[in-house]
Amino acid sequence: MSFDLDEGFRQTVLQLAGSEVQTCIQCGTCSASCPTAHLMNPSIRKLIKLCLEGKKDEALMNDTIWLCTSCLLCTVRCPRGIRPKAVVSACKYLAEREGIKTKDAAYEQIFSKQIREYGRISELPLTGEFLLAYPQGMVQSMEMGLELVPKGKLGLGVERIQGREEVKRIMEELGK
Amino acid sequence: MPIGVYVCHCGLNIAGVLDMEELRTFAEKLPDVVVARDLQFSCSDIGQEQIQKDIAELKLDRVVVAACSPRLHEPTFRRAIYKAGLNPYMLEMANIREQCSWVHMDQPAMATQKAKDLIRMAVAKAALLTPLEPESIPVSKDVLAVGGGVAGIAAALDLADAGLHVFLVERRPTIGGYMALLTDVFPTNDCSICVLGPKMSEVFNHPDIALITYAEILGIEGSVGNFTVTGHRRARYVDEKLCKGCINECSAVCPVEVPSEYDFGIGKRKAIFVPYPQAVPLVACVDPKACIGCARCVEACPAKAVKLDQEAETFKLNVGAIVVATGWQPFDASRKEEFGFGRYRDVVTTLQMERMLNASGPTKGDVVRPSTGQIARSVAFLQCGGSRDATVGNIYCSRICCMASLKNAQLIKEKYPDTDVTIYYIDIRAAGESYEEFYVRAQKLGVNFVRARVSRIDQLDGDIYLIFEDTQSGEVKRVRYDLAVLSIGLEPDQNADVLGNLLGLSRRPDKFFEIAHPKMRPVEAHIDGVFIAGCASGPKEIPISIAQGSAAAAKAVRLLHSGELELEPTSAWVDPDLCVRCKLCMDVCPQKAISVKSPAYVDEAACKGCGSCTAACPADAIKMRLFSDEQIMAQVRAATEEKREFPLIVAFLCNWCSYGAADLAGTSRIQYPTNARNIRVMCSARVDPSFVLEALRRGADGVLIAGCRLGECHYRDGNYQALQRVNVLKEVLGKIGLDPGRVKIVWCAASEGEIYAKELREFIGELKAMGPIGSELKGSKKT
Repeated sequence: MSFDLDEGFRQTVLQLAGSEVQTCIQCGTCSASCPTAHLMNPSIRKLIKLCLEGKKDEALMNDTIWLCTSCLLCTVRCPRGIRPKAVVSACKYLAEREGIKTKDAAYEQIFSKQIREYGRISELPLTGEFLLAYPQGMVQSMEMGLELVPKGKLGLGVERIQGREEVKRIMEELGK
Repeated sequence: MPIGVYVCHCGLNIAGVLDMEELRTFAEKLPDVVVARDLQFSCSDIGQEQIQKDIAELKLDRVVVAACSPRLHEPTFRRAIYKAGLNPYMLEMANIREQCSWVHMDQPAMATQKAKDLIRMAVAKAALLTPLEPESIPVSKDVLAVGGGVAGIAAALDLADAGLHVFLVERRPTIGGYMALLTDVFPTNDCSICVLGPKMSEVFNHPDIALITYAEILGIEGSVGNFTVTGHRRARYVDEKLCKGCINECSAVCPVEVPSEYDFGIGKRKAIFVPYPQAVPLVACVDPKACIGCARCVEACPAKAVKLDQEAETFKLNVGAIVVATGWQPFDASRKEEFGFGRYRDVVTTLQMERMLNASGPTKGDVVRPSTGQIARSVAFLQCGGSRDATVGNIYCSRICCMASLKNAQLIKEKYPDTDVTIYYIDIRAAGESYEEFYVRAQKLGVNFVRARVSRIDQLDGDIYLIFEDTQSGEVKRVRYDLAVLSIGLEPDQNADVLGNLLGLSRRPDKFFEIAHPKMRPVEAHIDGVFIAGCASGPKEIPISIAQGSAAAAKAVRLLHSGELELEPTSAWVDPDLCVRCKLCMDVCPQKAISVKSPAYVDEAACKGCGSCTAACPADAIKMRLFSDEQIMAQVRAATEEKREFPLIVAFLCNWCSYGAADLAGTSRIQYPTNARNIRVMCSARVDPSFVLEALRRGADGVLIAGCRLGECHYRDGNYQALQRVNVLKEVLGKIGLDPGRVKIVWCAASEGEIYAKELREFIGELKAMGPIGSELKGSKKT
């Protein structure tokens, strides 16, 4: 058991994700069910362990929680009736509350911002804005973009939908 | 009615705290008391002789002993007065040691006051005692064992060897259960049928065992000692007496082939078949669903035993006890869709693997891929298939699957050393004699162990792949195998539902039959005369099932060997003129001892005297022979006659746990205030709301009801019934303007003397804050 256990963090996760998380037996069914497990480090199983050990920094500062596609296979298959997806959601929420900036969190923010403003996303502005903030991989992205444009797979301008006010209101209600 | 009161010094145990002379002179003046003495040690021979002498000389017809707890010496004094010619039930004890002198050591004056009240209460109850005669009923010395698996076989053989006659009823055409179908068994890897077969034959040949196979129980009436059981034997379309068990003559000509349930679907059998060569009785059986009626078997049978016009027969048995050994059924692996059982042919279950490994099984001992028929070169065992799995509703561990897979892995490794055998596990549970050594043996044979719970099985181009996270390395992997074995768990046999309902057996949350106490009464049901053995009460290994079968047999022998049953005369009885046929009593009775055939009727052989029915009866039509309404009411009135203490508490303690806890507080010398006047009842459910109201009406400031901890009631659920009644009472109190907090219900186990003292202290504190009874009424009038 860790000595830097953050009991408050552990308790908050349990409140948000359900007290049954404590019954985790670390069997790995969640990770093995996860379609994006190969991209994750820590795995979903380890993320639950980190939360239970109160290791707040390790649990919140990683890409895993942002790579979750919410497919819920982990939650369907968990033999303990735990909802691993709820643990991920709890960590996302806490990471945002703590103002933790990661690449994926930034991408989500830009994504949400565009939805709020235009009612939908547009490929080029989204990628562009993200690459300005995180320029790693810009060259590869531009190369791929140049291939996509002639095929009509990449919109160049900003597209807006009707009823943007509605979408904005929905986003505000959701607290985004 | 001359009453004698004996106040015991118990050396200095009581006399060191209480004023004995004051108690004696107090007792002397109580109504009907003709003699009151203080005795140094009332339980000693001298003390007992004094009581007996007074009974003879003063013609006492009831006796009160104020001494230790009745849980200690009630039998002693009952014997003593019985020897002097009194009915043993004409005794009442006042507990002035465990519940008075030992717990109020530094308040002698208040303790003496409390002891006076306790003696007054005992005398008041004694005046209403009636002589009770323990009744004996003749019982049948026959026993019914339901289920012919290894537990039922063990029970039947022990019972019959002890001289009782046994009816062994089995649903299938053969006894032997699942054990007969296994290959070698752990932890010694000896051949299963080789050790079970002789026992099965012994059952068949035993003069005191009547074997009734292919049969079902349809009705059970009566109670302990005298159950009437009805059932029917299905037609097997073969005359049991004529069939020679030659196995092949009839089935060789049968044109119909269906999957064999005795091979769990991987082998085949004919429409007329003998389940397996060692079946007992060794008699063929026609499957009416498969048979096309061609009657070739009728012609082929050299003994002319096939009778296609045979009909089902009914039977009726009278037995004194019933052993329930209905066993288990395998978890249906197709419910775990992600493993593809039923869709992918190379995914099999433990039981199918057992049949494959069995030399007399469908593959003659070869471990093959069902899809190709080739020997499997890589085999994966997936543990916890349907056990420890909330998604299928089975939280429990099935206990035998780890060992079964370790065993099958060893057998494969021994037969095919080059085969890759891997066990995927969450935890290896090898807890049992020689079990861990068995695990080590598997490791040394080269079995691989991966700590993972497989998430799913995929099939691609005819090959199966396991997807799992190796939790020790953290890698998610996809690995190909020739064969995957789902280590399926055990579920209670659904066919036993009928029997369970007929007997009124209760079930645990895991749906297995519940035993009378989870530790202390492992083979007894809640219902007298009914015993449960083997997997009917939860997953078990073979040796434990056998031990339980024998234990159940010993319990049944103890119950029936004398041919008669002495009934405790503490039961309930019905005044038929008062009964309003509301059936409330029937619902609350934990023993199912009451039937309401206008009017209600209590089967006194089944009644355990908890008194819940008496408390529930709206017409006061059900009465108790001991702990009667009148007796308890007299105690309540005596407790509230003189109010010299605030707050004054009337406390009802259940005999089994909380009265024991109060006694334990005494033997542990835990000190607490003197406010409570304790009344012993058999169960917290005995407390009639009218007792509580009477106590409060007569000036008690509060009423405490203490029962066993929830879930631990000695009458199954009496404490829940008490809780429900207290909740209603609280509402009533609130409506009439009294503080609902004046009645309190608490739970303490017999080991929790400290908790009893703590609850009492807390209640005293709460009542002090409320003020004397009725003060809340005055308050409300002012505002």
